[in-house]
Amino acid sequence: MKHSYLLIFLAFSLSQLFSEKLLAQHRVKGIVTDHTTGQTIIGTNILEKGTSNGTISDLDGSYELTVASSEAVLEFSFTGFASQEIPIAGRATVDVVMSEAITLLNQIVVVGYGTQRKSDLTGAVGSVKTKDIERIPTANIEQALQGKIAGVYVAPSSGVPGAGAVIRIRGTGTLNNANPLFVIDGMITYDASFVNPQDVASVEVLKDASAAAIYGSRGSNGVIIITTKSGVKRDHAVISLTSYYGTQQVTKQISMANATEFATLYNELRGQSYFPDPAALGEGTNWQNEIFRSAPIGNVQLSANGGTEMFSYNFSANYFAQDGIIKNSNFERTTLRLNLEYKLNSWLTLGNNISYANVGTQNSPDVITSAYRMPPVFAPRDSTGDFTDPTFFGLAIANPAADLYYKSNNHGKGNRLFGNIYAQVNFLKDFSFRSNFGFDRKNSQGKYFEPKFEVSASQRNVQDRLSVSYSLGNDWIWEQTLNYNKDLGRHHISVLAGYTAEERASEYFGASRENFPGTADELLYLSAGNDTTQQNYGGAVDEALVSYLFRLNYTLMDRYLLTVSFRRDLSSRFKEANRDGNFPSFSVGWNLGQENFVQNMGLFDRLKLRFSYGILGNQASASAYPSSGVVTSGLYGVFGPNEALNQGAILTSLANPNLKWETSRQTDAGLEIGFFKNRLELETDWYNRYTYDIIAAVPIPDYVGSQSDPVVNTAAVRNRGWDFTANWRQSGKFVWNIGATVSPVKNEVIKLAQGRNEIFAAFIQGEPASHTEVGQPIGSFYGYKVAGIFQNEDELATLPKIGGEQVGDVRYADLNGDGVVDGDDRTNLGSPIPDLIYSFTAGFEWKGIDFAADFLGSQGNMVFNAKKTFRFSVYNWEKSFTKAWTEENPSDTEPRITNGGHNYRVSDRFLEDGSFFRLRSISIGYSLPIAMLEKAKISKLRVFAIGNNLWTKQDYSGYSPEFPNGGNPFEVGFDNGGYPVAKSWQAGIEVTF
Amino acid sequence: MHKSYRNTWMLIGAAMLLMTSCKKDFLDRKPKGQLTYDTYFQTEDHALWATNAIYQNFRSWEMCAFPYIGITDIISDDADKGSTENDGLPLLQIDNFTFDATNEMFSLSWKGTYHTIFRANQAIENIPNIDMDEALRARLVGEAKFLRAYCYFRLVQWYGDVPIITSLLSDDEYFTQTRRPVAEVYDLIEKDLLDAAAALPLKSGYATADLGRATQGAAKGILAKLYMLKKEYDKAETQCLDIINSGEYSLLPKYADNFAEASENGAESIFEIGAVAVQAAVAGPGATPFNMIQGVRGVPNLGWGFNRPSDDLVSEFEAGDPRRQATIIYVGEVLPDGATIVQDNPEILNERYNQKAWVPAHAGLQDNGPGNIRILRYADILLLAAEALNEDGKAADALVYLNMVRARARGSNNFILPEVTTTDQAELRTAIRHERRVELAMEQQRWFDLLRWGIAGERMRAVGKDFVDGKHELLPLPQAEIDLSANNLKQNPNY
Repeated sequence: MKHSYLLIFLAFSLSQLFSEKLLAQHRVKGIVTDHTTGQTIIGTNILEKGTSNGTISDLDGSYELTVASSEAVLEFSFTGFASQEIPIAGRATVDVVMSEAITLLNQIVVVGYGTQRKSDLTGAVGSVKTKDIERIPTANIEQALQGKIAGVYVAPSSGVPGAGAVIRIRGTGTLNNANPLFVIDGMITYDASFVNPQDVASVEVLKDASAAAIYGSRGSNGVIIITTKSGVKRDHAVISLTSYYGTQQVTKQISMANATEFATLYNELRGQSYFPDPAALGEGTNWQNEIFRSAPIGNVQLSANGGTEMFSYNFSANYFAQDGIIKNSNFERTTLRLNLEYKLNSWLTLGNNISYANVGTQNSPDVITSAYRMPPVFAPRDSTGDFTDPTFFGLAIANPAADLYYKSNNHGKGNRLFGNIYAQVNFLKDFSFRSNFGFDRKNSQGKYFEPKFEVSASQRNVQDRLSVSYSLGNDWIWEQTLNYNKDLGRHHISVLAGYTAEERASEYFGASRENFPGTADELLYLSAGNDTTQQNYGGAVDEALVSYLFRLNYTLMDRYLLTVSFRRDLSSRFKEANRDGNFPSFSVGWNLGQENFVQNMGLFDRLKLRFSYGILGNQASASAYPSSGVVTSGLYGVFGPNEALNQGAILTSLANPNLKWETSRQTDAGLEIGFFKNRLELETDWYNRYTYDIIAAVPIPDYVGSQSDPVVNTAAVRNRGWDFTANWRQSGKFVWNIGATVSPVKNEVIKLAQGRNEIFAAFIQGEPASHTEVGQPIGSFYGYKVAGIFQNEDELATLPKIGGEQVGDVRYADLNGDGVVDGDDRTNLGSPIPDLIYSFTAGFEWKGIDFAADFLGSQGNMVFNAKKTFRFSVYNWEKSFTKAWTEENPSDTEPRITNGGHNYRVSDRFLEDGSFFRLRSISIGYSLPIAMLEKAKISKLRVFAIGNNLWTKQDYSGYSPEFPNGGNPFEVGFDNGGYPVAKSWQAGIEVTF
Repeated sequence: MHKSYRNTWMLIGAAMLLMTSCKKDFLDRKPKGQLTYDTYFQTEDHALWATNAIYQNFRSWEMCAFPYIGITDIISDDADKGSTENDGLPLLQIDNFTFDATNEMFSLSWKGTYHTIFRANQAIENIPNIDMDEALRARLVGEAKFLRAYCYFRLVQWYGDVPIITSLLSDDEYFTQTRRPVAEVYDLIEKDLLDAAAALPLKSGYATADLGRATQGAAKGILAKLYMLKKEYDKAETQCLDIINSGEYSLLPKYADNFAEASENGAESIFEIGAVAVQAAVAGPGATPFNMIQGVRGVPNLGWGFNRPSDDLVSEFEAGDPRRQATIIYVGEVLPDGATIVQDNPEILNERYNQKAWVPAHAGLQDNGPGNIRILRYADILLLAAEALNEDGKAADALVYLNMVRARARGSNNFILPEVTTTDQAELRTAIRHERRVELAMEQQRWFDLLRWGIAGERMRAVGKDFVDGKHELLPLPQAEIDLSANNLKQNPNY
């Protein structure tokens, strides 16, 4: 057999390892069949153990191979089936029956600093494999996780092209920075947005304390371990090409008043006919159409995967490009990945996983808000072709079309080199030592040029200006871990001990100049500008963490499982006295399925009980130096006849030197069941997570004098809930699966620190819209309840009111019944935290056709439509205002048209149901029969089409109820208008050689 | 044992040792490019910088723009909101007395003033411990005390009882503060000002480059105002006469010059906050929004046109009083830069602007305001002296100072602004009040004067504002502040 490998992606030196070295000595043949269906299996990999000699089973499932000796061992492997090693033992025919691997007990799951058999797990770990991820084309792995694992809530952080996601594991709104920790091939980061989903072999979500405790101080929000694909030993390289292309649109538009309605409302507001004939204005301009567009998205991925006994490799090159659904925004990224592993000898292995990403973006200005507010009576451009000056009663909103035109010369570039290099030494039979160095080097630059222009007095730039910014990030981690693994028949012991140190540092600077000699791209460098206008700034941030870790796993007779772990972390974010954090956990498991009395029942193929308890930490906070009061400089005093700037510097905000670790105690009880030959799998977990000393900045009275709120250990919150997962997988000629995850959670504040009874936050027009008190969910909405509308003078005179209302105004409820409406009548109005998140999946494969659909939903969360509460005289109205109260058409729900004031107080009037149910993705593919492909040396050719977010059921009036606000748990669920999520469809092709 | 194993063990041991030994240094991280509080206040430079930073906050939006102008001029009978009909609605509520405790002007002014106090407290607490030139140390503490006192003086007049904060609070003190009685606030102001007056040099005692720092005269000036508020006229008289007799100040020959850039920190100036527009497209670090919000609306001045002199103010001026022209910009008027004529802006009703906040074209955009914010000038002290003397029954002495102010306004035109000659206390009181209004119009004094005279309600109702006696003499505490204080702060009556 002769193969010639054209590995255009690999260095020459690597290809030398694939030299040919076969001597025919023994010939073996056979047929491969499926255990469940009895059908033959096409395409099974068959390899002579310890060599690169192998073949693939053909159309009839039969194979033929010449091996070195009649005593050779054959390895049979096929995706989805358990691999087998079979000694030939002199036979000429070796027939093999393959069994499905999906639910096999020895499925390997990646856990922190190692792997474990799924059957040995005592913690709650959710696992997603490459196949489930690949189907949904997204720019990054974070978004691809949506709806995949019970208890994991993923929402797009925004629709900005290339943006990452906000992820909450087991309960939103628990902590200041509730984003989980990502561990990518051992390197720790909070930003996995650069990871190309197609490079990912598996994603494991460590949900409970037992699983996450090994990440101690940063495990309390859960840990997501991403393992990228490594090379697989086989006789030839698998080369794949995948490409797709598609288009995206905004999922929905907000229903706004048209020109006629706007003019009518405006006349009503001003009590005069400012617009003499509203009907003549017709529809006017739909400003959303002026900023949104249909935008293409595309991806090409080439990969090569293979290996020998000594060496394995996975190489990929990827180009992803996405235009934003808002004009003038786009994202493109080129990623290269090289994962290598060398087994140098019997005791030493070296390897690396390295990825390089190059990103380019164009950023559009924020036109979503101005498009929402712009009156429809204006056209984007006037009759002369100039941008319309929408000044109106002396006020103007920025014309979004003009902003897009003048403010889009805003580009970003970046490079990121991320990866790890490791060495592993196996010694004394049961020991191994691993030293892993991970690194994350980033540079990014931004360049923004704003030309001189004038649209209106408030939308103009009198001086053209170029601003540039540069930053350099350098994070590294060095881990030393020692493993002991001992199998003593009935007993299995494994011990892990380790020491890690890590540093995260970044440095930045920026500069600007004005007055450029032209606007051509080649002139837009700082030196071309006027040096008397130059400004610059620069700074740096760094932090460090040192940790000790230990874990013991003990298994008795594969039935009784025990895990004990401990981590000690020392963080630079805290002063020395509070620096140490100790995070122990223990967990036990019982594989009941292995017990005779269960096996005798003949009902369960698998039955396992798990229980875990542990303590985890969190050091997330607003800055790397929350404990240090920073002296702000540049606060100049101006003195003397020359009006000199005299340096001024002082503390302007309080720090908290007493800040300490945020801690959570987590209890988890789990049950895993397999029925019907593991076709039906059920997994359920109950958990109770008590998080205390929550680190967050909460508002303090202004008389304290601090310009920003100090970060404090503020509250204790309990998240209690269930994760249910059910899956049915049916194999055979018609392979199909259905599954569901359901995660009810209850969030409750148990205690507030600093002797406080309540925490107010999210102030809107002088009143808090968020309220946190013991017994309620954290960050509940707060305000007045609308009781109705004052319909007449009589009601105005007799019913409780605040004072100053007029007929047609909102009548707020006098909840305490004291006859007046005042601050004491404000109450909790609902929670932004869903009671329930859930997902469904369904799919089938039949005669080369594959189909899959994912649904996802949330129930019981409220949204505060904050953008609707800001009124300025010339803003447009949402359509709902056309039902406003008038004398002719009195309304019970919509007050008369006013500009801000009483009717816009924080109340349930602006609160909407945020529940939704969405078809997250749907895909259909067709794989050509192998018989047609063989001659072209193609092992797989699949064409596919995918739709994302094609259908959503939501009551919410905004673009999407999924718009998680930053990290502050006291200010969640406020829609201030953000880049909306897109729906999209793509078609593509996948070829494997 | 295999040789390589031994090497491995040694490697592991060495690595662990190496990393453990430098753990403390590795974990001690400091903010970069920034000083931290625990190593601050150690040098003379620190003392100086800290003090300068207190002045800076008087140029903040909270302390000199909407919130400040709103509850000094716009709330009074001197000015209307201005700008276009629907612009700045919170200010309209203040103008019309339809505001409640959620109006953001209160929370902003409250917040900004306490931010300044926060800075002053640091300087007062820490500078005395710095090993440095003693005279400079005393002066800097004096400056800080003056600025703190002036902050509390604003607060107590607006809100009445307020929390007294004189140090950096620790986290167990954030929520436990209560409003302290007005008398206690007065005591703090008096003590700070007396200390400041003792420590601060005369205006002439400063090096030229330090012109604009708080002086003994400034401290005594605010002290005089405090005593007037407390109706301790003899004490007020003493302070005023100290200033008058110090020979440090004089009236500028031409009234209008007081508001020109050339006269910043001039002979008549007792205290003002320095500002400068450095060359920058955006607001420079020495700029103030004070000029922008009151500037002539539209091109080329690019002001916002708030704080419009009211009809009532216009009618207060005596016939021919040149101060009216110096105070108010009318449509068609040629501005002091000699070039600009104010164009009619049909969107602004009854278009007029505050000329005292007007600045000629300057570098950068509109928010890059270069004009110093005048806080206290000599004419104010002369009129306070007259008022104190008259209230103490020394009408003849009072007339001297009153007529000094009128004489300057009159200039060489003997047909206007005749000398006041009455020695009847009530008549003279009326004359002095009239004089204060026209002399200091649009200089953020009127509301405090009305409160001090106890005639705010009467005057407000006279101009058609819905002033409620027993309520509107004090502004409401910001609702947000009451919510945040765990109800340790109680609202003013009737809000």
